[in-house]
Amino acid sequence: MAEITIGKEDFLKFREYFYRKTGIQFDDAKRYFVDRRLIERIEETDSRSFRNYFMMLRFEASGDELQTLTNLMTVNETYFFREEYQFKCLVNSILPEIVKHKKDEAPIRIWSMPSSSGEEPYSIAMYLLEFWPGIDRWDVEIISSDIDTKILGQARQGCYSPRSVQHLPKNLLGKYFLAAGDGFQVCEELRQAVEFTRVNLMSPVDVRGYREFDVIFCRNLLIYFDDLSRRQAADTFYDALHPGGFLCLGHSESMSRISSLYQARKFSDSVVYQKSREAR
Amino acid sequence: MPIVKKPRDGALEREERKRQRDCASLLLQLDDENPSERRWAAKDLAGCPDVSDALVERLRREEDVSVREIILTSLTQRGDERAVAGLVECLRSEDASLRNEAIEAMKLLPGEVAPIMGGLLRDADPDVRIFAVNVLESLRHERVETWLKEVIEHDPHVNVCATALDLLSEVGTHRSQAALEALKTRFPDEPYIRFAADLALKRIRTS
Repeated sequence: MAEITIGKEDFLKFREYFYRKTGIQFDDAKRYFVDRRLIERIEETDSRSFRNYFMMLRFEASGDELQTLTNLMTVNETYFFREEYQFKCLVNSILPEIVKHKKDEAPIRIWSMPSSSGEEPYSIAMYLLEFWPGIDRWDVEIISSDIDTKILGQARQGCYSPRSVQHLPKNLLGKYFLAAGDGFQVCEELRQAVEFTRVNLMSPVDVRGYREFDVIFCRNLLIYFDDLSRRQAADTFYDALHPGGFLCLGHSESMSRISSLYQARKFSDSVVYQKSREAR
Repeated sequence: MPIVKKPRDGALEREERKRQRDCASLLLQLDDENPSERRWAAKDLAGCPDVSDALVERLRREEDVSVREIILTSLTQRGDERAVAGLVECLRSEDASLRNEAIEAMKLLPGEVAPIMGGLLRDADPDVRIFAVNVLESLRHERVETWLKEVIEHDPHVNVCATALDLLSEVGTHRSQAALEALKTRFPDEPYIRFAADLALKRIRTS
């Protein structure tokens, strides 16, 4: 079989299309990474050329191949303090704005979705305790949800490999974790700080009770949804947020391409999305 | 450490619905003065039979953006004949936002939009034909290139052809080569057509 190559025009055409569909942008430095994966899928699908593969990718009614390629182009790895700039944004910009407009003494509510094995919600809890002075004045509720009950069990247990905690500062590792076998376990107090619940984001019955949140983290999930499911998720988060509440997405995700319900807010640490304060 | 607290008891319990959720009541709530009520009605109506016309009718006069969004999501979820027909009617609206919303919703319905696409591309109104080409931009359907090729072969309006040409530049294959060459002779006095057709042809030859 002739060797498959990806020409420059092919790369540009693919890059433009992939960005429009997923919001994931590849610069020229990523050319090798992209080409490798494209060739892998061209071979796997027996498409024989970029042109054939691109036509299939673009017009396949099920969208399955686009999903497969998206999975391949994204690194689905979770660890403590992943995309830390958003936690900085939370304590430096989002929470100060929320408390400034808060009209009651009710706890601040944060929803982290999907919980996966718990790295994100525990990171949020640690970040609040370590870097947000307002924690002395305000109560905070952290709810973290996932569709997978097995992964929720792992999250509640809070046991992690050294790799998961490698980006944590040493002092925080010592303060919030205990040695457990070859790895570490989140201390009891921190585990009690997060409520883990099972939720299917696409089920209206499941999500109906999830209301009055001030901040929602939903990072690197929507890229795995089809267009209609993304819209439904955007609607669900809108209903779950207080007016003026914030939605934090992953670095390659953009709500602007999904829904016009939110206003993009550019803070010094991150771009996040806000439900209008006038919304009812 | 205990400053970060668990939710109050019952904070996540399933909410008791405050109002009737049967389809007839939901249709009435679609006209409620409170946008939040209209929004929830539109969301729950997605599962009711024979309500697409009512949803479209509400969409055409709804001013609250959050209600419009959920109506469009519900119509897309339903994707029945009446929902698609309603979205097509929105393409004829003077309201640019409504037109764009309808185009975005139709892009999500390839199987449902395909049977009427030929008719849309032959509509008497060139603006509607342009919007139909806009729908093709993200429509996951194997006939997209064929439809675009037919547009540049037969449509008498230069702006409709230019819109199709832009898209063919991305999705065109050798099957469109002859039509692209012919288009240049159909509009010899339009420099943009020549430029865009040459670009599309270059892309096809180098891919």
